[in-house]
This record gives sequence, structure tokens and C-alpha cells, in this order.
Amino acid sequence: MTSLNLDFSVLDRPVRKEADELTSTLENDVLCGINTHDQYFTIPRVEDFSRFQKDVVEHVKPQHGTTTLGFIFEHGIIIAVDSRASQGPYISSQTVKKVIEINPFLLGTMAGGAADCQFWQRNLGIQCRLHELETGKRITVTGASKLLANTLYGYRGRGLSMGTMVAGWDTTGPGLFYVDSDGTRLKGKRFSVGSGSLFAYGVLDQGFRHDLSIKEAAELGRRAIYHATFRDAFSGGTVSVYHVGPDGWTKMSGTDVGELHYEYYPADAVENPERHGGGEGDIFVPKKREHEQNREDGEKKKDSSPEAMET
Amino acid sequence: MDSQFAFVGSNFVVVCADTTSVQQIIVQKSDEDKILQLDKTKLFALSGPKGDVSNFGEFVKCNLNLYRLKNGRSLSTSAAAHWTRNELAKALRSGPYQVNGLFAGYDDQSGPELYFLDYLATMHKVNSSGHGYGGMFSLSLFDKHWVPNMSRAQSLELVKKCVAEIQERLVVAPEKFLIKIVSEKGVEQMTMVTATGEITSGGPSSAMPSSSAAVDVEMKA
Amino acid sequence: MEAISQAGAAVGMKTRSGVTIAAERRILSKLLESSEKEKTYYINEHIAVAVAGISSDANILVNYARVVAQRHLFTYGEPIPVEQLVQAVCDQKQGYTQFGGLRPYGVSFLIGGWDKEFGFQLYQSDPAGNYTAWKATAIGNNAQSAHALLKSEYVETLKCEEGRELILKILRKSMDKTQLMPENIEMLEINKDLYSQNVIIRMLTRDEIHAACSKINL
Repeated sequence: MTSLNLDFSVLDRPVRKEADELTSTLENDVLCGINTHDQYFTIPRVEDFSRFQKDVVEHVKPQHGTTTLGFIFEHGIIIAVDSRASQGPYISSQTVKKVIEINPFLLGTMAGGAADCQFWQRNLGIQCRLHELETGKRITVTGASKLLANTLYGYRGRGLSMGTMVAGWDTTGPGLFYVDSDGTRLKGKRFSVGSGSLFAYGVLDQGFRHDLSIKEAAELGRRAIYHATFRDAFSGGTVSVYHVGPDGWTKMSGTDVGELHYEYYPADAVENPERHGGGEGDIFVPKKREHEQNREDGEKKKDSSPEAMET
Repeated sequence: MDSQFAFVGSNFVVVCADTTSVQQIIVQKSDEDKILQLDKTKLFALSGPKGDVSNFGEFVKCNLNLYRLKNGRSLSTSAAAHWTRNELAKALRSGPYQVNGLFAGYDDQSGPELYFLDYLATMHKVNSSGHGYGGMFSLSLFDKHWVPNMSRAQSLELVKKCVAEIQERLVVAPEKFLIKIVSEKGVEQMTMVTATGEITSGGPSSAMPSSSAAVDVEMKA
Repeated sequence: MEAISQAGAAVGMKTRSGVTIAAERRILSKLLESSEKEKTYYINEHIAVAVAGISSDANILVNYARVVAQRHLFTYGEPIPVEQLVQAVCDQKQGYTQFGGLRPYGVSFLIGGWDKEFGFQLYQSDPAGNYTAWKATAIGNNAQSAHALLKSEYVETLKCEEGRELILKILRKSMDKTQLMPENIEMLEINKDLYSQNVIIRMLTRDEIHAACSKINL
């Protein structure tokens, strides 16, 4: 029998000299003979470790800055979110997916702890699917949000950090609930959650009308999030907009806030309804800047002259 | 900060609570029903952390319902309030519910009754009471104006006085107040706009679907 | 069940003013010291019972009933409704008929009481945990013949004193004796105090029982 020559060195414990030295000093200074044989993480040398750990966990917990919003209007629900994740003062990601697609008819939004939101909304997805299998019917938004609220209420005071909206369509029509880690659960027509919510509310409340068209409503949501990302350092990245209708949700857009900035800037006077984001008039179509116009014109020319392409 | 107050009238109890739901400085909702209807003739106005409020409120409601199904009779207002106090006392020593409440009800034996409850499981049978800053403003007005056997018109006038005082003196006065009157016939709802003192019949536009639907079923049973 | 049909009889009835219950105490040996109470018990201020069956079992259940009554008073701040107490005791009895390895309680009760919703009430329960409400009923030895007699003689408009006499008459019949032995009889009345309207449960004194018996024995 030939022996296989497998290389198991990847399983070896990493040996670092500095670490060993540190451990030995730790043994002497702090741990006083406690067996640290298995300790290959170096422990920070601080006076009160557990407190330090708490502080760090608080500090590193991502997603404290966020802007999310959701509202119900004549043609369903609009959900709009940014995509920035921060850890303390640092931006840790600009491409976070803050809308969690629980199932084809339910969306959840994410603010607070990213892991908490992802985990518990995934868990909610499981509960909702089980409900479908048991009853043969889709769960109502009321029911789904209550499941989440009950879960979170059960964990109250245990450090969860979540501020979410559960949105969806069921037999009673559109449903929107705000659920957070204190166990709060509110039914409503218009919510914004996260550090940028105050800014988003400003634009959202002014521009909202029940009879907005889907296009207008999506534009309002996008604009509200854009303005929040402009003012809130912890919100940014791209603005994602979802629409929930009788046939479930669809993603309508994902736009970089940098691009939006040039669409919406400079600000327009209050009298001009076009600029209010889903105001009374048609939705705002930004004028193309000169070089963009030229470029597009050039492209169009190319498209319209097939002969030229052939040559 | 929740504002709620209640008082006993001739053959009814008036319970009044604001309808705003606030998180830090944001008004998240301005049509929230904070006065839970426990059965046909019992009201429970709750204040405190929203999670506790809804959880405890539903707990009380479900248990009163269970009692009725088990024993074929509803608890009297007094018995239900005593039971609720007892549950608060139990909770106090094991992860307390931080809820304050006003328990109002009507029953044939003892007529309209009102009980003051707080999260420390204090209970008093009272003629008038309040919780929160808004409630405090009302307390002195009750001391001045409350008399036994007030008529409906007198009662609404007193509610107006309280709301006007809250509007005048409370730094962030809630936009609307929900008024519920419980009597022999059941519960009647009205909404009052704080700024104008105008009262219209009917509750907040989007009450939790569970509360209203469940009560309907109960009343038929 | 057998134990109960052998046990000393107990008869109860509703009268115009309340509930009256009487029970026969079996004297097994003349050497026995006579005890004052072994067939009738207070449960609380407005409920009392008479038992037929195994005394030791009865003691457990009476104690249980007292605890249930006090617990209700504690949680709800008002006295327990009579039927609810009966139901609680019967649930306890039922449990022992359902699970193997244990013996059911060999006790039947006559439960008399008052509550604000239904006024004066009289219930009877058996070891299986069934209970029924009655205007007048009997348990224990010769309960059948007692029932027959009650059917022919009982009317709802009986005064308290008339009730007392009828009960003793029936008891004498079911004891198969020509003369009643007052020292073997326990009797209680649940009535409303005329002035205060408070409910009062009164165990009759030996003299009162003697007086009542002597009327019957004439």
C-alpha cells in the first residue's frame, strides 16, 4: 500500500515569536500561573479587560450609521436604503445590502447591528416558510412582523441592536411595520430608520402624497435617501429602491450617490415643483451636463449609422 | 413621554391618552391606540417601554379571555385589576415589566370603577388619576373640578380643560388625544385635536388590527 | 364508590333563606371518644361542605379546597365563586382517575355556598370528579331512598326551620333507625344575617341539634 503524502502543515498552530513572548509576560503579569497553553490570541494589556472588551465590541459593531425608509402609497410600498457600513469612524463597506429579501413577498430593512439583522431576518424567513408549509398559506405581514417582534422581545436587554421595517403584500394588501430590538412594533404608513432618518424624513414628509405614481414614489424614496447620505456621514454608497406590489417585490434601482449628487445639485427654489422629488409635476429628469450630452450624441450617431460600423 | 388620565363619571369611566409614538426625538406615529380594550366593558391604558406595554397588555387581555372561557363568566373590574396587580408584583422580582396603567371598567354589581396601577405593583381604587407629565397637569384639575356623578357633557368639558392645560404647559404637547368612554353599553371612542380642542367620534385611523378584530369576536361570544 | 354507599349519609337542601346541610357520624365503637366535627367543614366565609367516604382522603381535599379559596381571594381580591371551587376540587379528583398507579379519592361532597352572582347554591360531587347542582340532594348510605323522600316532600319555599326538620326526618330514614341520635349528627346552615346582609355559616350547637331531633323523635 502506498502511503499518501498529504501535507498537514496547514493544520499546524501558527507560531509567532512575539506572541509567545507576550503570552509569557502575560502569564507573569496578569494571569499569575493560569494555564495559557492554548492561548494563541494575544490579550491586550489593559487594566480592566472585560470592560475594554465591551467598549471594543460596542465600537466595532458595524452599521450604526444607516438610512432606511419605507412608505405605503396608492400602488404599494416603496423601500429605499443606502449601502454604507461603518465601524466607529471608519467606513467598512460601501456595498452593503441593507434590504433583506425574506421571501418573494416580504422585505426587511437593516439598521443597527448588521449581523443581528441578517441573522434574525433570515430566522424570520425560516419561520415564515414553516408557516407556509404548515398552513398552506402565505403568512400575513402582521403575522411576520409579530414573529420578529416576539423574538426580539424575548432577547430584550441582551445586547441586540436592530431597527427594521418589515414590508410586504398579503391578502389585506400592503403592510408596513417598524420593529426594533426593544420589542417595539408599530404599524404605519411611513417610517424612516437609522442615523440619517431625520434628514430622510424631511424630504419624505414634504414630498409624500398617497396618489404618487410608482415612478414618482420611487424617485421620492431615492431622493430622500440621497439627501440623508449628503448630510449624514454614516450613510452613503448607493441608494437601492424596491417596490412591493400585489405580485411581490421588485428592485427598481441601485444608484451611486455620487451620480445622484450631480443630478440633484445645485438645489432648486421651493416654488419649482419639479424639483421636489415626486412633487406635483412630472418626475425630475436632470439636464445632462455638456460633456455628457456630447458623448451621448456621439453614441447615438454611431448607432444610427450602421454602414459606418460595417466598414 | 406618554400622557394619560382617567376619571369616573355618573355611570361610565372616561379614559384619555395621547396617540403619539416617540423614539428619542422622532415622532414615529401619531395615531397609536394606547388604550387597550380588554373585553366588552374593560379598558386598560398603559404607558412605558413599548415592548413591555404591548406584551403585558396582550398578556392581561388573553388571560382575562381565558378566565372567561374556563369559568363561563367574566371577572369583575375589581377582580381583574387585582389579578393584574398581582402579575405586576410577580414581574417586579423577575425582570420587571416597566409599565404604568389605568384600569377602568363597568360591571353590573359595582358600576363604573377606576384603578391606578404602577410598575411597582401599587394599586389604588380612585375616582380620577393620571400617568406621565401630561397626567400630572390633569391631577390638580381633577382635584379642583371632579365631582361625583358627572354627566357626559361635564366629563367632556373636563377632558377639554385637561388637554388645554397640557397644550399650554407641556413642552412637547402631543398632537392628538384618544378618548374612550366605558359604560354598561360598551366602549365609545372619540379623538380630540390638542390644538383646537375639537372632538370627533371614532378612534385613530389605523388601530392595530388585532385589537379591534378580537374585541368584535368577543362581543359576539 | 362502595366506600361511599357504606359511609354515613349527608343530606343538603336549599331553603327560602339559604342552604342547610346535615350529616350522620358513624360511631364504630362505644369506646371511641366522640369528636365534635368530622363530617362537616368550613372552606371559607361563604362555603362549607359535608363529606361521605374515606375521612383521610376528605381531609386532603378539604385542605386543598381551602387553599384554592384563599389563593383566589389573594389573586382576585374577591371571594371565589362557589362553582369554581367545586370545579377545582373535582379537577383534582378527576386527575386520579386518569393516571395509573394511583388510587382515586374515595370521597363524595355536598358543597353549600353563596356568591354574589348566583346567590345560594348546593352541589354534589363523586370520586370520579363529576359534579351537579341541586335544590336538595343526599349522598352516602341509602342515598336512593333519601332522594325518593326528598322528591315527595321537598318544596322550594321551605323555611329554614322546616328545612331543618325535613333533613332530620330524611336522615333518620336513611340511618334505618326509629330514633335519631343527636350526638351522631352534625348540621350547618348558610344564611344571610338579617341586619348586616352578610353571609354567615353556622354549625348548629349540640343543644340545637338535640332540640331539633327531639321534635322529630316525638
